[in-house]
Amino acid sequence: MKIRDDKSKRKLLAVFAHPDDESFICGGTLAKYAAMGVEITLVSATRGEMGRRMGNPPYVNRETMPAIREQELNKACEALGIERLIFFDIRDKMVEFYDYELLVNRIAALMEEIRPDVVLTFHEVFGGHPDHCAIGKATTDAFRRASQPSSLYYISFGDAMEAPESFGYAKKDIVKIDIRHHLEAKLAAFRAHRCQTEMDKWVWEPDRKVLARFGQAEYFIAANTPVGGTKDDLF
Amino acid sequence: MIKITKLGLDAAFRAFIAQELYVHSEATSYLFVRNFKVQLEEAFIAGEGPYRIALKFDGQGWLRMEALTHFEETAEGRLLLAGYDDLGRMNVALHLGKEPFPE
Repeated sequence: MKIRDDKSKRKLLAVFAHPDDESFICGGTLAKYAAMGVEITLVSATRGEMGRRMGNPPYVNRETMPAIREQELNKACEALGIERLIFFDIRDKMVEFYDYELLVNRIAALMEEIRPDVVLTFHEVFGGHPDHCAIGKATTDAFRRASQPSSLYYISFGDAMEAPESFGYAKKDIVKIDIRHHLEAKLAAFRAHRCQTEMDKWVWEPDRKVLARFGQAEYFIAANTPVGGTKDDLF
Repeated sequence: MIKITKLGLDAAFRAFIAQELYVHSEATSYLFVRNFKVQLEEAFIAGEGPYRIALKFDGQGWLRMEALTHFEETAEGRLLLAGYDDLGRMNVALHLGKEPFPE
């Protein structure tokens, strides 16, 4: 960790597509930096209102889903220590059909306002879902236009980036964040997204068993030459 | 939402017959339509649960769905139908409203 002598807080902006992306994919990392005093802003482009998981037994329908998932995301943010949550109000599954210039401008305006040290988003090819790829591409373009002195990282799934070569990256592009001390917060965030996790029995087993199933690290791909940071730190 | 009964659902459909209404319909992750505006003529319910539903509209139109299990008449006057699997996942949805659904 670099020692910073300025008074301003370190800031992280995460631009994702759906409620739960922040928790399921990189919740440990967000909890870790929040605990270290980093000011985190999360953008969720949609409210995940087209999700198919409705609770088990179901307590959600398509029309009640946006409000319920917003509420559950708020709880997850609380568990992780995310201070500010912004929705772009784009319909779930429709991000790639949203006015692209407008989307880039909205993200760029946020970057201008927040001046984050670190930006996280999805990789535009390896995002795994059309909404993920679309928000990742727009965030990457906004980042390039903003040309601020900050670092852009793509989030990744599980430990796939232990072998970055198969994705066209090298080990030097990968930052591995140790999240061992933040698994409880990650678990609380998983459970906050109740309608999405309720059918997964393992999430609701005794804490000790669930925590043992979580990975010990989360991996990030450096999209530019990071401003700060090392192999194990985003800042 | 409550489990579909033919009597209950049939009564709920009746409130929408011979009227202009907005439809939301979806099947798993593959397709959804939202706020199609149609004039409903007849609504059919078949099966013993899960149920098959067919809506006849605009003189020559059909919308047919299956695997519906639950329904609800909301305070806003909407009729919501859904088909859930045994893990609570929604396979299909069919919503009727006299006003457009939120975009």
